[in-house]
Amino acid sequence: MKPWKYIVAVYMTVVISAGFLIRIPQIPILEESARNLFLHVPMWFTMMVAFMMAFYFSIRYLNDENPVWDLKAETATAVGLVFGICGLLTGSLWAKFTWGTWWTFSEPRMNLSALAMLIFVAYFILRSAFNDPVKRAKISSVYNIFGVSTIPFLLYIIPRQLPSLHPGADGNPAFSEITAPELRLIFYPAVIGFIALSIWIMDVVNRYKTLELKVSDQS
Amino acid sequence: MKSNIMQETISTTVDTLVTNSYSDRWDGIEGIEESSLFIQFMASNDLIFVVLGVSLIIWFVLLFYLIKIDRNLSKLEESINKDASDET
Repeated sequence: MKPWKYIVAVYMTVVISAGFLIRIPQIPILEESARNLFLHVPMWFTMMVAFMMAFYFSIRYLNDENPVWDLKAETATAVGLVFGICGLLTGSLWAKFTWGTWWTFSEPRMNLSALAMLIFVAYFILRSAFNDPVKRAKISSVYNIFGVSTIPFLLYIIPRQLPSLHPGADGNPAFSEITAPELRLIFYPAVIGFIALSIWIMDVVNRYKTLELKVSDQS
Repeated sequence: MKSNIMQETISTTVDTLVTNSYSDRWDGIEGIEESSLFIQFMASNDLIFVVLGVSLIIWFVLLFYLIKIDRNLSKLEESINKDASDET
């Protein structure tokens, strides 16, 4: 195992512990749940980075049709989707205790992020529809480029134009004035940690898939 | 002192329940002053350290699993690559 992975393991342990241990300002309604900022928001950041990687790999695949790129694009999309689903679930739980509901259709960010997840679920359905690996790789690369290009609109642009309880609505930035400065000390390291963790997971999945290909080629 | 604070929060929770079968005295908290330092520490600050403990247990188990898979993969990679080079 490469040394950076041990660093990620120790680093994440420190960040998670520090997230519980620091003193945070007590804000009515939010109270200790403000610590969710260290967990819920990095899920979306990580998803975003994973999808950007998938976008890049998909373009690379269309460029030279090397199957390695398709393999990497699929892995990045899968890991991104897992983190996105974690973001949806944690957001829903948090909403229950701060907004008073598990789910509301009047909250644009919530619904559009669920829609974004559906777009990437469709990616895997599309993949499963082809037996020919070259055809599958080509069409899913094109679909992925389309899918990732919807993400900024669904998660940033549209929710910011609409009224919402979620931070970052009604034209205001999500973070600047409304977040206590001490929360940032854990938040940014947590984002880095979760992204590193997702890259670790992608590495493991990619190596597994490469081996699988190698074994099936040999037999 | 700490246990008094805890007992207060517990009794306010209990007050909201209609039934009287709950007592506002919780025996589990009694004698916490005599228990070990670790137990006193875990019971302080509204039990936040218990949540930290639970989170760390989950994190360590997942981490252990990920490291294990990673190592097994490395071994498998080695053996498959060796087989491949033997054949050629």
